[in-house]
Amino acid sequence: MIPQAVQDCWYPLAMAALTGPYPGRATQLLGQPIRVFRDAAGTIRVQGDAGADLPVILRFGHVWACPGTPQRDLFTIPEADHPGRRLVDCGVVRVKCSPLRAVENFLDIAHFPFVHTDILGAEPHTEVGRYEVHIREDTDEVWATKVRFHQPQAAMSAEGGIETEYMYRVPAPTAAVLYKTCPARPGDWDVIGIFVQPLTEELCDVWPWMALYDDVTPQAALIQFQQMIFLQDRSILENQIPRLLPLDPGMEIPTQADLTSVAYRRWLKRKGLTYGAQMVAA
Amino acid sequence: MTPRLHDYVLSASCYKVRLMAALVGVRLDLVAVDFHPGREHKGPAFRALNPAGTLPVLETGELVLTESTAMLVWLAQGHPGWTGDGSRSAAAQVQQWLAFSARLAASLGMARLHDMLHFPADIDGCRLAGIDCLREVEAHLFEARLAGRLFLTGDRPTIADIACFPNVALAPDGGVGLEPYPGIRLWMRAIRSLPGFIEMPGIHRLHELRPAPERGAA
Amino acid sequence: MKTGGRVTNWVANGLSRDVVAGVVVPGRWQGVDLAIWRSATGVLRAWKDRCPHRGMRLSHGFVRGEGLSCIYHGWTYGTDGRCRSIPAHPDLVPPAAIRAEALDCAEADGVIWVAGAGEAGPLPAVTGLVPLRSLALHALPGQIAAALPGLRLFPGGLRGVVVLGGIQTSLCLLLQELARGQTMIHALCGPQDDPVAVSRGLEDLRRSIEQGVAA
Repeated sequence: MIPQAVQDCWYPLAMAALTGPYPGRATQLLGQPIRVFRDAAGTIRVQGDAGADLPVILRFGHVWACPGTPQRDLFTIPEADHPGRRLVDCGVVRVKCSPLRAVENFLDIAHFPFVHTDILGAEPHTEVGRYEVHIREDTDEVWATKVRFHQPQAAMSAEGGIETEYMYRVPAPTAAVLYKTCPARPGDWDVIGIFVQPLTEELCDVWPWMALYDDVTPQAALIQFQQMIFLQDRSILENQIPRLLPLDPGMEIPTQADLTSVAYRRWLKRKGLTYGAQMVAA
Repeated sequence: MTPRLHDYVLSASCYKVRLMAALVGVRLDLVAVDFHPGREHKGPAFRALNPAGTLPVLETGELVLTESTAMLVWLAQGHPGWTGDGSRSAAAQVQQWLAFSARLAASLGMARLHDMLHFPADIDGCRLAGIDCLREVEAHLFEARLAGRLFLTGDRPTIADIACFPNVALAPDGGVGLEPYPGIRLWMRAIRSLPGFIEMPGIHRLHELRPAPERGAA
Repeated sequence: MKTGGRVTNWVANGLSRDVVAGVVVPGRWQGVDLAIWRSATGVLRAWKDRCPHRGMRLSHGFVRGEGLSCIYHGWTYGTDGRCRSIPAHPDLVPPAAIRAEALDCAEADGVIWVAGAGEAGPLPAVTGLVPLRSLALHALPGQIAAALPGLRLFPGGLRGVVVLGGIQTSLCLLLQELARGQTMIHALCGPQDDPVAVSRGLEDLRRSIEQGVAA
């Protein structure tokens, strides 16, 4: 039985630009077959197995739907509307893991030197300093701020090692957004999101997306950089035991560097967003 | 000119070429192609370069090569040892494994594209064919090791090893585990230990090749 | 495995020469996934395949000197199982409670054996034979035993004299159950037997057993 709170969330299902006419994209959401297509009038529609239409929102280049009754609007990313940014849809990658593990990994910086070696991190610069984590009262989102980490190559347009600052944001159970120092425009943030489609509790499609200040790098190179980073994570995500994200303390050992993960897990548990989670220590 | 590789970072075949170039110290000019999600390689501009619409493509200045094994041969030219020891039997064995690498791509490589990027495929068939390939490699490496050889065609790596390595190492991406192959593990380790080796997503580098940082060194 | 009325907890997990110094490999004991690793000085350990931090498989990690490190965040464990360092907090001395979960492991006659911690009896004896190679079959141990009536069960697997690959060989097949209906065979043969012939014979044997299983 899938909790109502889970059913009432918005989930990404497709890139709007690649959504074609019926039969469109046949996929899965929360274990149920689902179809995304463009009807004769050009409207993008999402239908369940029985042919009933689901509520749909087009945002950040992607098609979002809610299998239950939406309790609130899909989150926004105001920076995405700033003039001069390039919005980049990075396609989709399937991962055999819990959708919640995919989000949690995205919130993690301590793995950079070992998984994204010489790109996002490198030994001996492995230390994660103190940062701040809180739940935003007004929007009920998890935020981590003042996260700083040494990066050998922070982005396509970065050369040489720098200290990069990040902010992380969890605006929905299977979506995460990071803001990072923009090498081209000091004082501005590059925005990178992952939108995770839960096919089942142990299988997900991940849609990375970016809103960058970068007039130089070819689109294909931007996409490849993001895909390279995410695919370095894939072999990690497919080899965590258990596959489900443990929400009860005791199963795994967090440290101070894991504060964002701890807050995310508590937030999921408090809100009953347990699809893809393990509640009892095995 | 600097040879120009039309490249996709997640492609095992493109990686073969990047790896070979790194091992022999040839600099490549990389041109990113939006293989996924843009399918740029199927568009008219790319087809004008390679009518087959496949990656990688290597422009050498005089040639436009569209088969990764041919690119390995081109890169290895002038680097003695990488194409064998000059003997007839080594030359033939190298060709044998270059051809075999096409079977790896059609089985393990296709299973990976299916599991990762939603390519349509007979996934069970791909995996079974892939396991057959892995077993052949494992049995061959066992016999090679008895004869004191660590690599596919001799006691040093050749383009045969580089042609076969990526799709073998990436087999888990397509749902084919490498747990049952101790010989393949040692062979992969030998390749990953080569001076100049570069990784790709799904193949992590051997962190043990660098010493642990001293505590407090950061 | 239970064989011939005797019970042993030792399960063969590979041949010593396939786990050289400085490597970590996957293993399996009674349904538990393992990380088996050998330190630079040759110390062999078998641990549950799970970093206590975030559950990442330690068999994907790396060995530096006398420690095994997790590939995910670099947490490093000494041969005693205790966490020695957490790179995100380089100045922190990890609490003693953070440790990898160890099983017993031992080596004899070129074979790596694993048993549950503290519950191990004597190692099965395979003296007089030489390690050949390991290979996996899509078949269960019982199906392998049934296909080889000329071999007798002993603690750890099957052994006896058979004709394989066209030659008569003293064969010992140590059996290790893997996931999804697969069994790993760690094969030993007589010191005078031709290893290539026996290896090819085992490949034939695998084909015929798997065809039988499929049918």
